Amino acid sequence: MSALAFTLRQAPAQTVDLSPLTPDKLAARTREEVARIELTCGNRKLRAAELFEISGDGRSESVVFRASSDRMTCIGARMQGGAITVEGDCGAYAGLGLRSGRIVVHGSVGAFAGSGMRAGTIEVRGNAGDFAGAALPGDKQGMRGGSIVIGGSAGERLGDRMRRGIILVRGDAGAFCGSRMLAGTILISGRVGESAGFGLKHGSLLLAHPPAELPATFQDCGVHALLFLTLLEKQLQREGRPFHDFLPLTTRVRRYCGDLAAGGKGEILLTPTQ
Amino acid sequence: MIVNGVAIEDTFAEAFGMRATRILVTALNLKWAYHAARTMTGLATSVIGCGCEAGIERELSPEDTPDGRPGLSVLLFAVSSRELAKQVERRVGQCVLTAPTSAAFAGIDGEPINLGRNLRFFGDGYQMSKVIGGKRYWRVPVMDGEFLCEETTGMVRAVGGGNFLVLATGQVQALTACEAAIEAMSKVTGAIMPFPGGIVRSGSKVGSKYRTLSASTNDAYCPTLRGAVDSALPSEVGAVLEIVIDGLTEADVRNAMRAGIKAVCAVGGAGGIRSVSAGNYGGKLGQFHFQLREVLT
Repeated sequence: MSALAFTLRQAPAQTVDLSPLTPDKLAARTREEVARIELTCGNRKLRAAELFEISGDGRSESVVFRASSDRMTCIGARMQGGAITVEGDCGAYAGLGLRSGRIVVHGSVGAFAGSGMRAGTIEVRGNAGDFAGAALPGDKQGMRGGSIVIGGSAGERLGDRMRRGIILVRGDAGAFCGSRMLAGTILISGRVGESAGFGLKHGSLLLAHPPAELPATFQDCGVHALLFLTLLEKQLQREGRPFHDFLPLTTRVRRYCGDLAAGGKGEILLTPTQ
Repeated sequence: MIVNGVAIEDTFAEAFGMRATRILVTALNLKWAYHAARTMTGLATSVIGCGCEAGIERELSPEDTPDGRPGLSVLLFAVSSRELAKQVERRVGQCVLTAPTSAAFAGIDGEPINLGRNLRFFGDGYQMSKVIGGKRYWRVPVMDGEFLCEETTGMVRAVGGGNFLVLATGQVQALTACEAAIEAMSKVTGAIMPFPGGIVRSGSKVGSKYRTLSASTNDAYCPTLRGAVDSALPSEVGAVLEIVIDGLTEADVRNAMRAGIKAVCAVGGAGGIRSVSAGNYGGKLGQFHFQLREVLT
């Protein structure tokens, strides 16, 4: 059973909401029915077939977008299961409210990737825009479970108001990484911008490199071997690629508790030599 | 049925349905895992007076534990799910949380009961939760670092009270055979022998002449009462010891009994062992019956 593939005919003039094209929603439809699905593009409605050449099997549990356009938004939004592959870049809200399944983006994603997701995995091989895993404006919580793996760098406000789950970034993260986090774990292999952990309430920021400066509201708790990091390392081993790229994990870390201005129950963990 | 000079009596052990869980206790090294696990399974010989029956099932290598440290697998059995949950919380809280470098994890899938869910409050607000691989763990700050504990463990239906009696010419002969049995039985996973060293000398019968007691000494098997009661002991038997087995499944109890009785028979008549028997209540109380001769075949 080949994957249901959507090949973009040409980039749309406005952003198009692709949330109807998830494997769980397409499972019971024939290819002809899929072609007639209405998509919102700007203030218009377009049939899927007007935007994409459609091939493959509608009963497949995987969907492929052979396209690269930042105007393709909401890919995999509220997906309940299955797999989506984007062979290029895509726009904002990729994996918005994801419930289950896996989204792999070979290129980069726009803002708010994985916002409000509850489970599943989003793998971004390129860069992620601002607010990845963060709360939408007006929402109290950002990502609530699952994992986001970013092969490149992340924009600003990564994991803002994040509630649960894990975000792993191979490259750098922008300013206000983990700001106002409620819980969860963010691991950054590269460097972080200014004000990392601003307003951190609970949760853990694991940083391979120390931030240029830490505010006075983060206090040094010393160097410790934290057992939960061993559990996390074993879990990353079990998950396979792309989680393997973050191994080995340093389990002996310098712990800074904070943000004391927001209760101080969160932590920034750095390798002890730094 | 006679095996190596040991008569296997045509009787059965009567066992009961229980609730059980398995908890993995890890520590910096095996020495401290043993300190934690032995304390946790202390005063857990019989549900009658201890609330639960517990024992160390086996040693775990670092490859077998969630945190990659040496550890021990501990089994706990109780008569009800409520009592089991109470005992788990109390024993882990008093004996594992307090032991240096220790951590506690669920060792079996089943209906979830609290492991660290309430123990976390010892952290006085500084406890942190981590969900890793779909399981929630609690990090409780303590004076040597953090006590890591999984939120829940699994509870399963199990079998308690499997047993057999070793009738020997004297104390030394009975104890030698039972020690050999325990050594063999400790290799069987899924089962524990909760009494001291795995062996019990105070087998009991139901009831007593004293109204406040629900159980009393099994006088029919007391050699010093041979002339005073309707004794079950032939004249050449000078001592009887019992091994009680709790298992996660009927098969686990059966396997442990088989291993134990075979080890007793290996000591044989030449070693002073006269027969192997079993304790039962006429088959009216327990839902599991282990016929000794069937167990051996």
